[in-house]
Amino acid sequence: MCDTVVSLSKVSKRFRLGATHDSLRDLLAGGIRRIFGGPSEQNGQSVFWALRDLNFAVRRGDALGIIGPNGAGKSTVLRLLAGILRPDGGEVVVKGRTAALIEVGAGFHGDLTGRENVFLNGAILGMTREEIRRKLDAIVSFAGLERFLDMPVKRYSSGMYARLGFSIAAHVDPDVLLVDEVLSVGDAVFRLRCLERMRELVGRGTTLVFVTHDMDQMRSICGRALVLERGSVSYGGPARDAIGYYLGAMSRAYVHRPPDLIEGDQRQGDGIEVINLRFVNGGGDEAVWIRSQEQVRAELTFRVRRPIPRLIVELNMRASLSENLLSINSGRDDLVFDGTVGQHTVSLVFPRLPLSGGQYFWNVRMWDADSGAAEVDTPFRFPLVIDDEGRKTGALCLEHEWSIAEQPPGAAAFAPAQPAELTYVGEEGQRESMPLR
Amino acid sequence: MVRALGISGSLTELLRYRSLLVSLTWRDIRVRYKQSVLGVGWAVLLPLSMMLVFTFVFTRAIDASSVLNVRMPYALYAYIGIVPWTFFAVSLSGCVNSLVANRNLVTKVYFPREVFPLSCIASSFADFAIAMTVLVGLVAYFHLSGKWAFTPHWTLAFIPVLVTVQIALTIGIGMLLAMANLFYRDVRQVFSVLIQLWMFVSAVVVPVPQDGSLLARIISVNPLVPLIGAYRDCVIYGRWPQAGPMLYATVVAVIVLIGGWVCFRRASFKFAESI
Repeated sequence: MCDTVVSLSKVSKRFRLGATHDSLRDLLAGGIRRIFGGPSEQNGQSVFWALRDLNFAVRRGDALGIIGPNGAGKSTVLRLLAGILRPDGGEVVVKGRTAALIEVGAGFHGDLTGRENVFLNGAILGMTREEIRRKLDAIVSFAGLERFLDMPVKRYSSGMYARLGFSIAAHVDPDVLLVDEVLSVGDAVFRLRCLERMRELVGRGTTLVFVTHDMDQMRSICGRALVLERGSVSYGGPARDAIGYYLGAMSRAYVHRPPDLIEGDQRQGDGIEVINLRFVNGGGDEAVWIRSQEQVRAELTFRVRRPIPRLIVELNMRASLSENLLSINSGRDDLVFDGTVGQHTVSLVFPRLPLSGGQYFWNVRMWDADSGAAEVDTPFRFPLVIDDEGRKTGALCLEHEWSIAEQPPGAAAFAPAQPAELTYVGEEGQRESMPLR
Repeated sequence: MVRALGISGSLTELLRYRSLLVSLTWRDIRVRYKQSVLGVGWAVLLPLSMMLVFTFVFTRAIDASSVLNVRMPYALYAYIGIVPWTFFAVSLSGCVNSLVANRNLVTKVYFPREVFPLSCIASSFADFAIAMTVLVGLVAYFHLSGKWAFTPHWTLAFIPVLVTVQIALTIGIGMLLAMANLFYRDVRQVFSVLIQLWMFVSAVVVPVPQDGSLLARIISVNPLVPLIGAYRDCVIYGRWPQAGPMLYATVVAVIVLIGGWVCFRRASFKFAESI
């Protein structure tokens, strides 16, 4: 059970930039130019290397995640594995039946009913009619579309469309399943079921290659992950470390971007320059990835160019682009720092950070308490990933305590509850179920 | 030789995806007649109305009796030309667009790309089969109305051979067209003009000149002339097709089939990125 099912060795893939030869006119023009020795359009500039010398292998039953910024070549890798593209160099080997979910519902025809599309799409994914007939009920009930099975899919909502598409692919029972960013569709419940299904397939020995931007999804399924940057692997290893590496690299790339490209950076004074905001875990190591309920120390390093004797520092944290989830302001804590010229590090310790799993982004604001002038207001570019081992439920993870009381028969509905013998304390590691009588 | 050309691999792969071929064919048929009142009736009505149009044009509107020395009711002559021709032309115009119209499948899913042109041909074959059965009714009509006496002959058994040769030719040309149109969208425009011209040099509704002139010699290269002529020989005249022209059409069909398929196969790995 340790054999390699998917392997890429020294794989390169290039694409032509621009639409050369899209019509006969271009071909004729190009041909004439070539005959008369004019400049050819096929120079080095018009070629883009999407992948260069890529190597990796996945063993049977393993789940590999691929992460990376847009345009890193993630989808190209999947298309090479699916056989849609052929590499320009190197070798791609995929053993066994492959199902690729590169776009949900690719090949659906709007005029056909849900049922007809199940047969069509199943055939597209390589199932026989007999097999589809056998699995039809499972597919439809997984998608939750029993009532709409005989409706043309052009009248489906986009969520229904996506659910049906995923459901078909999830029932192919492939040896190798390739999934590209398709779980961003559908509602939360369906996404969760998709993840469950993928985990189930992997458990049964399916090899999974999963491309996503959702680090939580990826980490909950994939043991290993690759970070792809500009067509080559910049990191490969355990999913958790790969995500840490990737987010770290992303935030560094962000810092190195020219300031005019960074949103919300207009109010940057010239008195202070933020060098870094890093997070240190309970063990004293720098980390992007921290366990829920663990101690976190935020370390802000900055350089002061002209003295600001009463400096206020504020750290804000957001989970998405909406509102601050957390805002810690030294001024509100009656604390000002003496900003002498030179480099300083301000530390802020949270003994326990009661966040549930997910990605969070921080920003830094600093201003002069005397003049009130803002010196620094960075974008939300400093990442922190909280790991709660896939138990994500809500935004916070507060300390809590359960209890159950038996209601004596005939007692008033609002009678004070009697303390019960059974108590469940929500703590890490303790997950017994609570028997209910 | 077959292995060397890559066709055998292609065939085993196609065999594995045969249910896809069935599904796509079925899709094409269903979609063609969805939301239409007459539905499959169009498979009958279209060639019949074309027959009526040409009968009107050549026997009422203009005097073409000098050309139309066809020794049978002209309507019958036209119908038996129009039905195989429609199969040929509709298949090809489906093939031209087959890859481009299924762009999202070509770029998002892998399966043998031959399935696209093949399913186009298969779905027009359904129409062809329906239209051919109508021929029985048409023959009966002319027979009973006393305009023309029909005697069934063993030559009817030769029709499957004709259909096979025609399909081989259609697959070969269809694959070349589908592939060419993917790389150069001009192909579709050129095709729509050429197919019109091709109809009039294929003895579909008017006999081709056979006077030994330059034009007649150029037209005799067209493998559809003996093919459509052979349909008339077998069904109406009750005689075996002439061996020479029939053999010629068969050889051309086989060469085009193999050549078209090999080209298609060789280029197919570029489809997803060139479409």
